[in-house]
Amino acid sequence: MESKWFTMARRHFPTRLSHPAPRQGAGSFMRRLLASPDFRAGFVEMLPACLGLIPFGLVCGVGAAAAGASWLAALGMSAVIFSGAAQILAGQLLAGGAPFAIIVLTCSVLGLRFLMYSAAMAPYLKALPARWQHALAFLLTDQAFAAAIRRFDAKDDPHGGARHFLGSGVALYLCWQITSMIGFFAGNLIPASWSLEFAVPLCFIALVAPLLRDAPTILAAIVAGYAVVALGGLPMKLNLIAAGVIGIAAGTIADLARERWTRR
Amino acid sequence: MDATLKLWMVIFAVGLINYLSRLSFIAVFTRRSMPPLLSRALTYVPAAMLTALVLPMIMGDAAAGGAVAFNPKAGAAVLAGVVAFYTRSTLWTLGTGMAALWLLQALR
Repeated sequence: MESKWFTMARRHFPTRLSHPAPRQGAGSFMRRLLASPDFRAGFVEMLPACLGLIPFGLVCGVGAAAAGASWLAALGMSAVIFSGAAQILAGQLLAGGAPFAIIVLTCSVLGLRFLMYSAAMAPYLKALPARWQHALAFLLTDQAFAAAIRRFDAKDDPHGGARHFLGSGVALYLCWQITSMIGFFAGNLIPASWSLEFAVPLCFIALVAPLLRDAPTILAAIVAGYAVVALGGLPMKLNLIAAGVIGIAAGTIADLARERWTRR
Repeated sequence: MDATLKLWMVIFAVGLINYLSRLSFIAVFTRRSMPPLLSRALTYVPAAMLTALVLPMIMGDAAAGGAVAFNPKAGAAVLAGVVAFYTRSTLWTLGTGMAALWLLQALR
C-alpha cells in the first residue's frame, strides 16, 4: 500500500513521480487544473471579494461608455488593462482629449503600485516555472494579492499555492469582465438625471479614504489634491500626472522626515 | 488620429505597461530587491494619484471658474469619504454617496 505522503506527493507532482508520462496537451492540463482542489479553493475563496468588486466593475463599464468606447473597446479595456483605476483614468483622459503619450504616461504612474506587489510576491513564485510566473503576474491585483500571500504563508507548497492563486485570479478576472460589460450597457440605458457618473469618483473615494490613517499619506493626498486644482490651467490634463508626482514626493519626504525625527 | 485607433492603442500600451510592472520583480529583476527609497515612495502612489483623479470629478464646475455657492457633489463626496473611512466598504460608500447626491440635488 502506498503511504499517505506518496499519494499526496503524486497528486501534486504527477508527472515527476510516476512513470514517464506521455507529453500532455493543453486540454488535459486545463482539465487537471480545473479538477484540482487548490484551484477550486482559490476560486471559491475569491467569491466574496468578487461581490465587493461588482460596483467597481459596473462603474468601469459606465466610465467606458461615458468615454465613448464601443462595447468591444470597453471589453478590451477590462480584458487587457485589468485595473479599474487605470481604466477609468484612461477613459477620463481620452474624453478630455489628452494626447496618446500623456495618457500612457499618466496611467503608468498610477500603475507603479504594481511594482510593490510584484516585489512582495516574487519570493513566493521563485520556485515556479516561468510560464506560471508570467500567467500569475497578469492576474496580480489588490484583491488576489492579499489572498495569495495568506495561502502561501499558511502552507509550504508553492505549486498548490500557485494553483490557488490562479483560481482566485480567474474568479476575479471573470467577475471583472462580466460586471464591466453590464456597467457598459447600463451606463447607456440609465437616464442622465440619475447622475450615475458620480459612482466613478465614489469608487475611488472608497479606495482612498481608508488609506488616510497616517500623517505622510494624508499629506500626500492633500498636496496632490491641492496641486491638481492649482495646476488646473495646464493643457492636456497634465495637472493629473504633475499633482500625482508632487503628492508622492510630499508623502515620501514627510515619511523620511518622520523617521529621522523619531530616531533621535 | 482616429479616435477608435487611439483608444485601442491606449488599451494595449497601458495594458503592456501594467503587465510589465506586475511582472517586474517576479520575472525580470529576480535577483534584485527593491531599493528602500523606491518602496517608500510607492507607498504613496495610491493616495496621491487617486486623490488627484477624484478631485476634478467632484468639483468640476467650481474648478472651471463658475462660483458655485452650493455643490451637491462635494457634499455627497465628503459624506461618502467619512463612510468609506469607517466602513472600508465600497458598497456602503457608493450607497451613501449616491443617496446623498440625489437628496441634495432634490433639495437644491
